[in-house]
Amino acid sequence: MMAIAKKELKGYFLSPIGYVFLGVLFLMFGLYYYVVLLSQVSSLIPQVYSMLFIWIELILLPLITMRSFSEEIRNKTDQGLLTAPVGVFSIVFGKFLAAFFMFAIAMTATLIPAVVITFFSSPDWATIFGTYLGTLLCGAAFLSIGIFISSLTQSQIVAAISTFGVTLLLLLVGQLSSSVSNTALANFFTWISFDTRYQKFTKGILDIPSIVFFLSVVAVFTFLTARKLESKRWS
Amino acid sequence: MIEVKNLSKRYGENVALNHVSFSVGENTVVGFLGPNGAGKSTTMNIITGYLSASSGTVTVCGYNTLDYPNEAKKKIGYMPEIPPLYPDMTVREYLNFMYDLKKVTLPREKHLREICALVQISDVAGRLIANLSKGYRQRVGLAEALIGNPPVLILDEPTVGLDPKQIIEVRNLIKSLGKNHTVILSSHILPEVQAVADRIMIVNRGELVADGTPYELEHGQSGEQKLVVRMEGPADEVEHMLTTIRGVTGVRNFGQKEPGVFEYEVDGHGSADLRRPLFGIAAKRNWPILSMASSELSLEDVFLRLTGSTYLSDNAQIEKSRKGGGRK
Repeated sequence: MMAIAKKELKGYFLSPIGYVFLGVLFLMFGLYYYVVLLSQVSSLIPQVYSMLFIWIELILLPLITMRSFSEEIRNKTDQGLLTAPVGVFSIVFGKFLAAFFMFAIAMTATLIPAVVITFFSSPDWATIFGTYLGTLLCGAAFLSIGIFISSLTQSQIVAAISTFGVTLLLLLVGQLSSSVSNTALANFFTWISFDTRYQKFTKGILDIPSIVFFLSVVAVFTFLTARKLESKRWS
Repeated sequence: MIEVKNLSKRYGENVALNHVSFSVGENTVVGFLGPNGAGKSTTMNIITGYLSASSGTVTVCGYNTLDYPNEAKKKIGYMPEIPPLYPDMTVREYLNFMYDLKKVTLPREKHLREICALVQISDVAGRLIANLSKGYRQRVGLAEALIGNPPVLILDEPTVGLDPKQIIEVRNLIKSLGKNHTVILSSHILPEVQAVADRIMIVNRGELVADGTPYELEHGQSGEQKLVVRMEGPADEVEHMLTTIRGVTGVRNFGQKEPGVFEYEVDGHGSADLRRPLFGIAAKRNWPILSMASSELSLEDVFLRLTGSTYLSDNAQIEKSRKGGGRK
């Protein structure tokens, strides 16, 4: 498992993906802070943060996960992994760890403004901590979904766009709940909405059901990806 | 070492393997031979655990590949038809990754250095795999199979894409590996298998059609003999007369070789000696025999016969059914 995680993480930096990803991300952070804070569009820091993180997840996570299995399938390197004495779960979880670590590296950069702010005022650390935890959990869930989608296709582009679509849907589905009359359906939309769950964290609340929800999504999609890889053997 | 029992694999309607059974002992090189799509790669993929069989079992070094997949996989070094290489890694990085992935416990530096020396890739160890030629990639794939020194090596067409010198080197390497490894290699090139294998298995259309040493296959197969004759005389008549000889199963005309001289191939049952009656006919008709040689069945003939006959009989069946349809 660690061998795969290590190789994957290295892989992000052997190809331009890692550098482009981090570079663009840091540029966006900088620009965003500059525009929002200096032009004083909004002074509500928690909202500024949570908006930013949602956008990172939406746009950049599909780029992290798109290659994870698609590339292996296309290059037929999955044959090397699947005939090595490791279980499929280790393979999938190793890939997940690497993607998650990449995402976490990117997130650390956003701590810089938070640190800077402490010099001039006293930010609400509970909110900041909650937002980070929420972002990491929500991101982990999206990453596992993205990895699953990439195991379905040989094409990285198909994987990226589908993951983008699913991510967008899961973020926006909560807003549908107010426009459907069926209460059961409305409740379901609220329940499944990543955004609704994520927003709780941005208020500094450690919502246990949401934590369990996000971790369950990771577990389910890791399981599904492993099944998908196994199913290749039976086709 | 390897025990394959009643292995079948179906892809939907398509039967890729049909109840194949064999076992391979220690320190032997087995050549897996067959035309394209015969089921060579499928068999290898099942043994290595990349594919699952529809039915049947595979046991490697006492481990059933379904019940103990990781133990079995540890015993196998596999080089697939397309070596699983990551183009953005250097050779050294790749081998190190595979070393970690296979959880090898041998001393890393020394082990990898030995393997690189063995397959002669030491001089490209620092280069990106993407920049390597096909021959080098093939050898990196072979190196990958050797990592961890597994007792069983399964090599799917190991010499494809190599130049003649490299082919000889790899063959020699496989031969020397065969002294303390069990090697299964597939190929559709006969001389290659003949050169390295102690034992040859011929598969065709998912079935094992022959199994034995090269010598056994060459000689055991021939319940038949073959003569190649050059005779002067009217071709049609000669051909007709040859078929009347007792024991002759077929005559083929190879065409005119010299003015008025034709070459024929005469097939016959093993027991009957065709040379004397042939001479008799020629003498009676005054057709001079210019040359006559009995040709033993070469491995190539065996191969063609075994893999081609089913093809022919299938065609005959189609022909039959067509005729039957016409009658209706």
